[in-house]
Amino acid sequence: MLAKIAWRNIWRNPRRSWVLISALAVGVFCFVGGLAYVDGFFQQMIRGAIQLQGGHIQIAQSGYSENPTIQSFIADAGPVHASLESVDGIRRSASVRTAGMINSADQASGVMIVGVEPEAEMRLSPIPEAVVDGAYLPAAGEENLVLVGEALAQRLNVLTGERIVLMANDVDNEISAGAYRVAGLYRTSSRDFDRTHVYLHANQARMLLGYAAEAVSTVSLVLPSGTDLATVTQPLKQQLEPLGMEVMTWQDRMPVLVLMSEMTGMANVILVIILFTAVAFTLVNSFIMVIFERIREIGIMAAGGVRPRQIRTMLFLEALFVVLIGTLVGSAVALGLIAWWSHAGLDLGRFSEGLSAFGAASVIYPYVDWGHILRGFAMIFLIVLLAVLYPAIKASRFKIVDAMTHV
Amino acid sequence: MSDNILAAGAGPEAAAGAQPPADLVRTEDVVKVYQAKGHLPVTALSGVSFGMASGEFTAVAGPSGSGKTTLLNLVGGLDQPTSGSVRVADQDLSELSRNALAEFRLHNLGFIFQAYNLIPVLSAEENAEFTLLLQGVSARERHARIVREFEDLGIEKELIRRRPNELSGGQQQRVAIARALVSRPKLILADEPTANLDSKTGARLLDKMRDLNERTGTTFLFSTHDPMVIERARRLVTLRDGQITADEVFS
Repeated sequence: MLAKIAWRNIWRNPRRSWVLISALAVGVFCFVGGLAYVDGFFQQMIRGAIQLQGGHIQIAQSGYSENPTIQSFIADAGPVHASLESVDGIRRSASVRTAGMINSADQASGVMIVGVEPEAEMRLSPIPEAVVDGAYLPAAGEENLVLVGEALAQRLNVLTGERIVLMANDVDNEISAGAYRVAGLYRTSSRDFDRTHVYLHANQARMLLGYAAEAVSTVSLVLPSGTDLATVTQPLKQQLEPLGMEVMTWQDRMPVLVLMSEMTGMANVILVIILFTAVAFTLVNSFIMVIFERIREIGIMAAGGVRPRQIRTMLFLEALFVVLIGTLVGSAVALGLIAWWSHAGLDLGRFSEGLSAFGAASVIYPYVDWGHILRGFAMIFLIVLLAVLYPAIKASRFKIVDAMTHV
Repeated sequence: MSDNILAAGAGPEAAAGAQPPADLVRTEDVVKVYQAKGHLPVTALSGVSFGMASGEFTAVAGPSGSGKTTLLNLVGGLDQPTSGSVRVADQDLSELSRNALAEFRLHNLGFIFQAYNLIPVLSAEENAEFTLLLQGVSARERHARIVREFEDLGIEKELIRRRPNELSGGQQQRVAIARALVSRPKLILADEPTANLDSKTGARLLDKMRDLNERTGTTFLFSTHDPMVIERARRLVTLRDGQITADEVFS
């Protein structure tokens, strides 16, 4: 019955209630929409970073992540492949990596030389789909072909089909160089990445570096969506670390991304607090008005045996109903917009240079992370209930006789 | 037709006489002083000792400011005396916490007010049901009691789903009486219950209450200066300047 009274009380002054509900709905809309945008931005950035830079898990010789020298390589990737047999749906690709130089007729630039298995990369990496000119590397590794980023090609002033020279220290620390023809150009969301990564067939890279036929620098793993990273990582560590290998998750390799993600989480909390503290003051004001309008009624209820706790409960329920309606309305509008955005994407082309610096695409697709949203809702409800605490306590402490004679 | 009697501890001007055993309400030397900020203290009751037995149909009368409503508020546990004690149903009300007092009122007292004071967002039926819900009475029992009291008070079926603003003053007061009665209180406190009603409606409702008192033994204590109430009361306590000046029992 208290809930029934609370619900009907809301509609005694519909205009005031709708003003409150609207304030809450706008706040919820901004929160849900903003959060989906930020989550989408970070998800795209993290997904891109994972795909471009070693997958969810990267296996290498122990110490490689600290000091990725040419001498740090896995001589035989057989045990790695064997340990992955039991993991369903996993995609893997071995690569040979080293820092080196790329030279054109005009320019030279420091780059990361990445030798890949093109067939495996097709299933795992976004690079084959990012080719904007020419073609991706052929499956067979006989030809001296490289794939370079469009931004790097511009810097070197080379076109598809033209020649470049790659130089690097080989496994014996001797300078090794090879001439290659540009098979194609790629463009990812990160211009920095494009300027610094050159791809060639793993066999060509092995030849350049003097590696044996089975040697690889890293094995990258991409897990099926929804797979718990820890449940895959732990058994791999147990099997491979005794063999002198390291198993690194993307969080281990890219702590800055993790930090950015956590900072965004904090920023969301601050956003909720700022947005809803402002709304909370409106709510406090309205509830104080409500209580003084109904002071006599509250007195009558108390006289009839309604306990102070029940009066507080009734007012909390009123606030709860208002917040529920506001949250539903705000969420519905925000989710509708997000649904549309999810297909069309939010084109931030004019900021593409800045976004590219973060490794983010210029078209952002919002992403609804229900965990984040529900945590935000919990905070909203908490803030609102705290806001109503003062009026509710005040209402439950009225002197009955004074309340009943209030005009 | 009336026997002037002196209630236990009543004012010096009251006459001695027979008095029913005062087992339901007992006030001892009650003083109530109102002290508003920036105002001089006002003494509403000064040393009132008053007793009341179960089954009485008693009116407290007196001019405005004589302390009638204050006395009812103290007996109803809605206010605390400045000094003295108030016992109702063997319970000293000053010993009860705010919550315990609410519980006590819920199970022992019913209130009827001059302005009806129904909860505006509840229908007539829901207003009567609310107290029963708080008491934890079962749905079947709630329904049975409401039907019975509404029939007794002549509240038509078409009115039960109406909200207070859709009822006349008389209809609202009948619902208010039903609300007070359904919870089966030991004592009903009625503060000027006929003040906002026309004389015909007021008389009819008073007859109903008197009839209920005779049939069920429900105890009523009125605060009034309405002659219709005084005519029907079986005991009349007169207050003046915060003191009992007369206490009469009518045969």
